[in-house]
Amino acid sequence: MTTPTPILRVENLTTSFRTDDGVVTAVDDVSFNVWPGESLAIVGESGCGKTVTSKSVMRLLPEYTSMIAPESKILFGGVDLAHADERTMRSIRGAKIAMIFQEPMTSLNPVFTVGWQLDEALRYHTSLSRKGRRERAIEMLRLVEIPNPEQRVDEYPHQLSGGMRQRVMIAIALCCEPDILVADEPTTALDVTIQAQILHLMEDLKKKLNTAVMLITHDLGVVAQVCDRVIVMYAGRVIEKGTVREIFHSPQHPYTKALLDSIPKAGRREHGKRLPTIEGIVPSLDDLPEGCRFEARCPLAEKRCADEEPDIVPHAFTERPVRCHFPLNQT
Amino acid sequence: MSLIRVDNMVKHFPVRGGVLNRIVGKVHAVNGVSFRIDEGEVLGVVGESGCGKSTLGKLIIRLIESTSGEVHYDGTEITHLGHNDMLPFRRRMQIVFQDPYSSLNPRLTVNALLKEAIVFHSIVPPSEVESHIDKLMAKVGLRPDQKNRFPHEFSGGQRQRIGIARALALNPDFIVADEPVSALDVSIQAQVLNLMMDLKDELGLTLLFISHDLKVIEHFCDRVLVMYLGYVVEEMNCLDIHGEARHPYTQALLGANPVNDPDEDRELTVLEGDVPSPFSPPKGCPFVTRCPLVESRCHEEMPPLVEKTKGHRVACWAVE
Amino acid sequence: MILKALRSRGARKFRQNRLAMFALGVISVYGVVALLVALGGIRLEETFERVSRNSIPGAWGSQTSEKRVNDAEEYLEEIESALDNEEHLEYRFAERKLVDLPVEELVERVEESWEIWDELADVSNVDEHPELLVKLDEVEERIDALFAPLEGVDGWMYAFRTYLGTDRQGRSITVRAVYSIKLAIQVGFIVALAATLLGTLLGAAAGFFGGWIDGLVIWLYSTFSAIPVLIMLMVLVTIFIDTPYEGTLVPLYVSMMLTFWIGPCRVIRGEVLKLKELEYVQAATSIGFGRFYILVKHLIPNTSHLMFINFSLLFIGAIKNEVILTFLNLGVKNQPSWGTMINQSRQEVINGFFWQIGAATALMFGLVWAFNIVSDALQDSFDPKHVS
Repeated sequence: MTTPTPILRVENLTTSFRTDDGVVTAVDDVSFNVWPGESLAIVGESGCGKTVTSKSVMRLLPEYTSMIAPESKILFGGVDLAHADERTMRSIRGAKIAMIFQEPMTSLNPVFTVGWQLDEALRYHTSLSRKGRRERAIEMLRLVEIPNPEQRVDEYPHQLSGGMRQRVMIAIALCCEPDILVADEPTTALDVTIQAQILHLMEDLKKKLNTAVMLITHDLGVVAQVCDRVIVMYAGRVIEKGTVREIFHSPQHPYTKALLDSIPKAGRREHGKRLPTIEGIVPSLDDLPEGCRFEARCPLAEKRCADEEPDIVPHAFTERPVRCHFPLNQT
Repeated sequence: MSLIRVDNMVKHFPVRGGVLNRIVGKVHAVNGVSFRIDEGEVLGVVGESGCGKSTLGKLIIRLIESTSGEVHYDGTEITHLGHNDMLPFRRRMQIVFQDPYSSLNPRLTVNALLKEAIVFHSIVPPSEVESHIDKLMAKVGLRPDQKNRFPHEFSGGQRQRIGIARALALNPDFIVADEPVSALDVSIQAQVLNLMMDLKDELGLTLLFISHDLKVIEHFCDRVLVMYLGYVVEEMNCLDIHGEARHPYTQALLGANPVNDPDEDRELTVLEGDVPSPFSPPKGCPFVTRCPLVESRCHEEMPPLVEKTKGHRVACWAVE
Repeated sequence: MILKALRSRGARKFRQNRLAMFALGVISVYGVVALLVALGGIRLEETFERVSRNSIPGAWGSQTSEKRVNDAEEYLEEIESALDNEEHLEYRFAERKLVDLPVEELVERVEESWEIWDELADVSNVDEHPELLVKLDEVEERIDALFAPLEGVDGWMYAFRTYLGTDRQGRSITVRAVYSIKLAIQVGFIVALAATLLGTLLGAAAGFFGGWIDGLVIWLYSTFSAIPVLIMLMVLVTIFIDTPYEGTLVPLYVSMMLTFWIGPCRVIRGEVLKLKELEYVQAATSIGFGRFYILVKHLIPNTSHLMFINFSLLFIGAIKNEVILTFLNLGVKNQPSWGTMINQSRQEVINGFFWQIGAATALMFGLVWAFNIVSDALQDSFDPKHVS
């Protein structure tokens, strides 16, 4: 038995944007691995760089205003996606790495049938016959638990509800059996009961197809529910990595802990009490502090935090990576 | 003594279509909803998109005119008052919106937008307007010297504070909070919720708190109305919701909410199907298409909202 | 409000657009010139004064030797007849007077010039005989010496007036083209302002109040926009024929205002329809403000970027249509306009004389180009879809 290798290795990813106010670095020196068949969550608040990270992997960023730093590497099957040409990317996108988006209303083309849009992906990436593609399309719709797939395959997106459309998106993403599914806030626009359906479906499919999932979300509840490993991001930096249990039960970074604490808890004990909060707001990316980016809001900040930005290093006891001078759980 | 009594509130939006732009049907947004809100109470309204919770909030303060039904505010029936007779009630009832970006006029400074309301209702004598604004700013956790800035110079959370300041500017006693924290990041959400909690205690406000997030409702509200497709399906004390919820939809909502603990039972309650369109709701109980307890009677008749125990009303045939 | 707009993000983005800032500079130059003209820098009568012989080219131009021979002949003839009858001198050469010499002396000089000229007159192709070209130069020098030299301000003015040559009546093309700037800007400004305001009011009222007002406004603009703009303008202008307003600016103002309000009206109605659903409008309602107050205070100011953009678009439209109508003899009469100049140059162009049409179109191009650039840049920087 060979030691498992990660299917995607992101090393020192730095992505910046040219804006009216100069160059802004949205993702700063981010490294992580995706292992086969796992669910990896990238968690953070708006503006933390989680979506830019996923779009950098897919190379879906605007061509002229964005830039991936030359030392960044996104290694997938021996190819460096960070600097691959558009032709290579086209053969990878959809076939090897697929993506689903937040907005099920706008991510399907309204003038084509569901079947046509599935067929399009299959036509481009597989060598199936016309009949074979249609069978595959129906099979995919059945796989994502759409009732009457034979009939639905010829319907237009507007005839489907939001939850159904997201299922169709998942079907399109998975039809070429990709190794990685990048899901950018896949349930944020959906109602809770529909969200539960989609999360359930994604878990099911992951088991069936052994696809690795990279889930981008701000919702810690969703993370707890479906993910194996978690990366926490703040203001463009990875601040903590760990398994879902480690992150939820023994967060090491003060930000992770504060974020978990600030979610309202169910039950009598907490009702009507003030919630623990994180004071202040996320620093603007074009005006980042010298030291730790969380320093201004951190309850444990000391002088050193303001002067010097910590590196992401293994924790003294748990050996789990954390970007903090004074991580929690020291004793 | 209840501050607000809503009787049999109904709102149907006409749907136009066809070549001649005739009315071809109606959306049943709110279907005969009745409830009371006591003074100083926080009543939560929870439900999924399209259930009519937002419409209900706007109907009460008459941002939308109802199709039928009555709202009694402090003993006065207000749904038929004219513009001028309504003014004193407009002052007493305010609203905080969901979207911190579209809820503030981008061309007015914070000072201008607060002043406009204060002067219009003569809340304080003209000489005290400025100091009143300063006090309001401080109350919602903003620095008074920020008042001459424009909305776009503030962050989302700060804008929501401005929205709250605008609602408080008229010294109201009732506020409709329409998803006030849904558009905010988690850490900012907690700040705004705390602020609202403090203000409620300090000013003795009565609140109608609308949200799709059961966790927030549970944390913040005294009582809760669960809405589905324009109907109230359950009304109960918020504290009891985990143990006592009886309606299958409320239970499904509770079960579908992801729990922030990876060790807890990771199986979500999954409800089959989608919410039916409010344009053509099913006959009988609105939940009939997805209900696990469905029986033949449910297809025939909408179950009435019946008081099962004190303060706990459920609309379901299957619940005894 | 204008100050606030200048501080906004859109304004900052606009200022960073170098081309737009250059175009804005061009517009300001035009504006200053128009202002100077309006303040009396060029009087209307000056545009009709004869400053030189007909159709002379400007400073950059050269003529065929044939025309030069012809011109010399005509000059000499005119001076001769003027010498016979002294009071005509001022009339014929408004800008220049004969040198202060006794008449006999002048007659003698004219005679000498005639002698040289006669040598040229018989040759059909002067260009092929270099020695004759020298003679031609000499005749011209002699004719020039018959006039008193212009010095100081007079010299400058003469150079300015003949810089782009003269038209067939010997009127200064420079003066007429520059005077037309004022006319163009006046028409553009008044029409664009009036049409934008009219369109904004109708559009905002239609979008906000809905119901029968909306129905009426939609009916009006759909009906109006079904008619091609130019035909509509021509019909409306024709109404004024045989009234005291014929040939003045009034028919132009009225016809363009009645035609151009459609653009801003449609755009602003759409914007108001969108804005009135926004939560800050609902918040204003919940405070108890009246509908009219909300419309004026909360909605119309938020459409100001569209008003700006439409204003600049209509400005160009008005200038172009003024020129077109005038060209068709339906616009202004009895005063110069780029339209009249282009109309007049129809015969000149056949004879290879491009100075008049060149001056009119170049000045018009400059103004329309600058406004196009500026309105494009305005759209880019103030359109809420781009600003955020």
